[in-house]
Amino acid sequence: MKLIIPFLFLIFNFNTLLCQETFPINGVKDNFNPIYAFTNAHIFISPEKQIKNGTLIIHNDKIISVDSNLIVPKNAIVYDLQGDHIYPSFIDLYSNYGIVKTNLKSQNDNIPQYRSNKKGAYHWNQAIHPETQASHLFSNNQKEAEKYINIGFGSVLTHYQDGIMRGSGAFVLLSENNHTNIISDFAASFYSFKKGSSKQKYPTSLMGSIALIKQVMLDAEWYEKQKKQTNLSYISYNLQNKLPKIFEISDVLDYSRVFSIADEFEIDFLIKGNGKEYSRMHEVKGSTFPIIIPLNFPKAYDVSNPESTEWISLNQLKEWELAPYNPAFLSDNNIKFCFTSSDLEDKNDFLKNLKKTIDKGLNKSDALASLTTIPASLINMSNKLGTLESGKIANFIITSSDIFEDGVIYENWINGKKHIVNKKEKYDISGYYTFKSKKINNSKVIIKGQQKNVKISINNLDSANLTGKISGDNFNFSLPNGHFRANGDIINNDTIIGFYQDENGNIFDFLLSKDSVLKADNNKKDSDTTTNKIIQSNIPEVWLPNKSNGFRSLPIAQPVLFKNATVWTNEKQGIINNTDVIIDKGKIVAVGTLLNPLEYITNEKVKIIDASNLHLTCGIIDEHSHIAISKGVNEASQAVTAEVSIGDVINPNDHNIYRQLAGGVVAAQLLHGSANPIGGRSAIVKLRWGASAEEMKISDAKGFIKFALGENVKQSNWGDFENIRFPQTRMGVEQVFYDAFFRAKEYEKKWQDYNKLNLIEKRKTVAPREDIELNVLVEILNSERFITCHSYVQSEINMLMHVADSMGFKINTFTHILEGYKIAEKMKKHGVGGSTFSDWWAYKFEVNDAIPYNASLLNEAGIVTAINSDDAEMGRRLNQEAAKAIKYGGTSEEDAWKMITLNPAKLLYLDDKMGSIKIGKDADIVLWSDNPLSVYSKVVQTYVDGKLMYDENVDVQNRKRDLKERMRIIKLMSKDKNQNKIKPTAPAEEKLYHCCKKR
Amino acid sequence: MKKKIIFFLLINLIFIAESKSEKPILFVGATTHVGNGNVIANSIVSMHNGKFEIIGDASTVRIDPSAFDTIFKVYDKHIYPSFILPNTTLGLTEISAVRATRDYKEVGKFNPHVRTLIAYNTDSKIPKTILNNGIMIAQVTPRGGTISGKSSIMHLDGHNWEDAQLKADDGIHLNWPKSFYSTGWWAEPGKIKINETYKERIEEINHLFDKAWAYSNSTDNSIDIKLESMLGLFDGSTTLFIHSNKANDMRDAIKFAKKYSIKKTVLVGAEDALKIINILKKENISLILKRVHRLPITQDRHIDEPYSQAKKLHNEGVLFCLSYEGDMEAMGSRNLPFTAGTTVAYGQEYEDAVMSISLNTAKILGIDHMVGSIEKGKDATFFISSGDALDVKSNNVERVFIRGKEIDLLDHQKKLYYEYKK
Repeated sequence: MKLIIPFLFLIFNFNTLLCQETFPINGVKDNFNPIYAFTNAHIFISPEKQIKNGTLIIHNDKIISVDSNLIVPKNAIVYDLQGDHIYPSFIDLYSNYGIVKTNLKSQNDNIPQYRSNKKGAYHWNQAIHPETQASHLFSNNQKEAEKYINIGFGSVLTHYQDGIMRGSGAFVLLSENNHTNIISDFAASFYSFKKGSSKQKYPTSLMGSIALIKQVMLDAEWYEKQKKQTNLSYISYNLQNKLPKIFEISDVLDYSRVFSIADEFEIDFLIKGNGKEYSRMHEVKGSTFPIIIPLNFPKAYDVSNPESTEWISLNQLKEWELAPYNPAFLSDNNIKFCFTSSDLEDKNDFLKNLKKTIDKGLNKSDALASLTTIPASLINMSNKLGTLESGKIANFIITSSDIFEDGVIYENWINGKKHIVNKKEKYDISGYYTFKSKKINNSKVIIKGQQKNVKISINNLDSANLTGKISGDNFNFSLPNGHFRANGDIINNDTIIGFYQDENGNIFDFLLSKDSVLKADNNKKDSDTTTNKIIQSNIPEVWLPNKSNGFRSLPIAQPVLFKNATVWTNEKQGIINNTDVIIDKGKIVAVGTLLNPLEYITNEKVKIIDASNLHLTCGIIDEHSHIAISKGVNEASQAVTAEVSIGDVINPNDHNIYRQLAGGVVAAQLLHGSANPIGGRSAIVKLRWGASAEEMKISDAKGFIKFALGENVKQSNWGDFENIRFPQTRMGVEQVFYDAFFRAKEYEKKWQDYNKLNLIEKRKTVAPREDIELNVLVEILNSERFITCHSYVQSEINMLMHVADSMGFKINTFTHILEGYKIAEKMKKHGVGGSTFSDWWAYKFEVNDAIPYNASLLNEAGIVTAINSDDAEMGRRLNQEAAKAIKYGGTSEEDAWKMITLNPAKLLYLDDKMGSIKIGKDADIVLWSDNPLSVYSKVVQTYVDGKLMYDENVDVQNRKRDLKERMRIIKLMSKDKNQNKIKPTAPAEEKLYHCCKKR
Repeated sequence: MKKKIIFFLLINLIFIAESKSEKPILFVGATTHVGNGNVIANSIVSMHNGKFEIIGDASTVRIDPSAFDTIFKVYDKHIYPSFILPNTTLGLTEISAVRATRDYKEVGKFNPHVRTLIAYNTDSKIPKTILNNGIMIAQVTPRGGTISGKSSIMHLDGHNWEDAQLKADDGIHLNWPKSFYSTGWWAEPGKIKINETYKERIEEINHLFDKAWAYSNSTDNSIDIKLESMLGLFDGSTTLFIHSNKANDMRDAIKFAKKYSIKKTVLVGAEDALKIINILKKENISLILKRVHRLPITQDRHIDEPYSQAKKLHNEGVLFCLSYEGDMEAMGSRNLPFTAGTTVAYGQEYEDAVMSISLNTAKILGIDHMVGSIEKGKDATFFISSGDALDVKSNNVERVFIRGKEIDLLDHQKKLYYEYKK
């Protein structure tokens, strides 16, 4: 230990090592760099290879050799590490270290900005700036670097963390010299779904970001081939083709969103995750992309107040418990990952949290690989960093013992230069001493404790203990009442000399000499990186979704016989009493009286449900819903946004799915909002609680798109500043449609012409630019995609039918269609269906003439009529809404029931599989306690594809289960000793979206 | 459907005849839901000079037919007292998206002096549609600020606000501060934060009430219009309606009301009332509940929590009534009866559910001596439905009487219906 002391010198601000050769010298030449040898060390050459009593030799910025039994060169400065550990320094791939921000100025925030504020030949969207180069924005910042150095990092991949396409990153060492610390100025390219500082309107939603990324990728391909224009953004994008691509996600559900982009464009990404991968492991496993995971575990909540504790969701509690297991789970699932210190509020938590992951079952060598070799290989830097092999950059850390247990980092060497993290010289002065001085002599003394917390008792002095602290080789101790104050120098672990002052002000010198050591148990633990610590016996469960009412395991389709039900068939038989229904393998296999299940199913384990006194119906289908959508229902920017798709942003974690299952809903069209005349594409889903976003989609459902008319699209109620976008009147709305479809036709023609060319001609011709928006409009023209159009007043409804007729397409469904009753005949002629509210009106000027008789009038006119919710709350009781057709318009019960089942199935082209109780159709079954159209009726069970998704008894059991789980975690949380616990806060009132009221 | 039109024309004739009648009018044979928890299966109900006279069981009460001007046989039909809609902006807003038609929110923090009474629009198209589902009385309530203003209780019929009023300036509405607030917007909800100014805001309210109390005891003759308008809180002539939902906030609100010896305090919203049941009982606080058709307050709460709250409060013996506060409040309030129906599906007794939108509401609003149930001496403000009025599919209001006068039920929506039905 003492050997080191002579060589200690301040490294910081010493810029003489490895000077930049091109620079003039001020003073005399000073670039002699000695060889350093580190002996007697436990060296982790790589995660797989370690030597217990080895030597590491470095010179300049490089590792010269590492081995046991190395001959140390005579001129080397030798550090005897006495068993300390050496690891390769860590590598962080997700950082903004040293980047100087350059936000563009925005104008008046109130005025919507539709164009980019970035002047020059760049992309039209401000959030797309692949031309940004981190290396140009980078300069070392030692204060910031120390935060990384102190937790073991030696190099980081840094980038400008703003926007959707963020440009290239630079791989830099955390050393001081700006000219030697950039290892690669063009190391990776970066992406996210976040618009960042851009105030430009587009995109306003996650689906808009996704569409924008896809379009840029298409445009970049096209740009390569064309010669007409120059765009620096595409040039930069294309230059980055071969770089590793790092995609930051902020939600576990984003994994499948990134995967779909990756599949479509055949790109491999590295994904910067959010640490909640465990909650959707099945989906995260959907690709082989490596993941960069943060270690920002949720802090414990303050659970001392039972009332405020109730505001913490079970989901938050489970996340707190599960977060440290995430790396181990990833490892168990063979997913390659590395760690990042980003996202941590305090980087000093990094090592603490890293140790937690080991406690929760992560293998130490995997952990080391995730910090060294894996990140190095992911950005093609394995030849320079990641292991302690000769020829590599001398980046390593020296620790007191196993870094994954209680090891402390002493030094972090970067580029062959030392950075002291924790001084090693710790004295252990505890023991039995004799105190010698003029006044108090030969007194027996006991010293206990370490560093800042030392307790001393001196015989003859006072009954009270003295308290003391060690800083460096200084030892300061005193009586609490100040009657005895002493300060000493620690000569070594056995001897302390110094002065003290007594209560009378007399000063004496003293000598403390150790007689014997305390019986302390400070034996260093024998660490072994290859063995796991014992994994906690109870690994917490991940539910699907991981919150209240989540499934422990997903239900399977079992054969069920429903006996003696009142069956609402929606078929010719109508409503029939005392009827049996059998379902098997997700389908309805029999409907009749006194059925023998063995005649219909092979499986003998049929579940029999006595449905006497119960009503059995097919499930409700909500033609217009906005539940289960992530981050934006509207791309509320441009007038035409056919390029966006709700299918990209389905949120299977939305608890409204479960709530609506409890209201008998089994399927829904998740619609884009009504912020623009041509909105985004819909997703048609079944409410498969616990499934993934992709699994929720009805696989062979037809494509739909949202159109909208009236006040929302002309921005009537958007506020005083929103008066820039075309259209602002109904007159303009018509022209938006004409323009869009004329463009679509031209576009189609261009492609048709191009596709007619033979191979040789094609080679000579630049292919037309592919446009996602126009692709979708062409689908409409070709009857491959169907329109659901938000509509209120009759004039505009009439107008759109004219546009459609003249442009050669059809409107499939008018939704809301509140004045449909005024032009039912015209609608009938056009062949369009209606999906309406039961009784909403008077919230906007355009709904002044909305009447609750509308559904009945449309139905009577022979139009396929549905009643929809457009509202998460109403979606729970659509049966009541259907009953309003009976109350107001005198519709029959059977017809009213069809308005929320068979008719929406027809409007969505699902009626071949859904919408009635018929042999061969999907077993989407609801059992009701009463007439399903009555307010007194409750859902007893809901099946989707024959799987029991909701059961009123299971719901009651789950209440107990969820409470038990909650209390279990609260108990753990109350044991957590963290001082900075989070005060629970009430959850936000759920922001319900419905497109009718505002945009 | 033509038949219906004729039917309505008939009603108009009756309406004219009735208003000139000298003798009482009798309804025989209906199932009468009294509003106080009782039901009379085969009833007789008579009214005279705008008040109920005889209420009884047709099989036991003997009557002399000649004593009545008109006898209506209403077998198989249902008679209910007017349902009462508390805490509503009905009549203060026509089209919520059009600013010019919004008259419920005055600028400023403390507006105890502003009154809904004079802003109530008797020509609004909406109230008649509400009337058509069995609601004849509404507590027209201001919104916004810390103290929104004064509500008044109105009949949903009348040529001007003077005609329509049932009770002017019945209460002052205090929006209790929230101890939490949320950040962000719906697409990117931010974090929920503890409201650091919660205590400060309560202090502001305390300050105002201190002044009001001092003013009430002052002999100074100068008028402070705000404080003057609050005097009724101390003598019990004005009810204090405190709007609050979270347990902690409601407890603070009750403490506050107690501190100032407010004679009559009602909690409005009260989403978490079951968590403060003891203090509610002890302080005898009654509740106007938030709309039954709402989502549970958090993702963890039981899915039926909003539906089963009524039954649980009933079991605890707390006096409460239902309201329809929330999104699409004015035009949607015609669904109030169905929200009561939903509470029946979740355990509430049927007649208790009726009571929660009639007599209970009247008691809480302090008008139960006039309306709220079909009892002798009360206003003959009631309706006849051909079916169960709490169930959507059978609610069919055929005749409506306000203070004995039959009301024309032709509303804007029916007019359009008849026009386009042809």
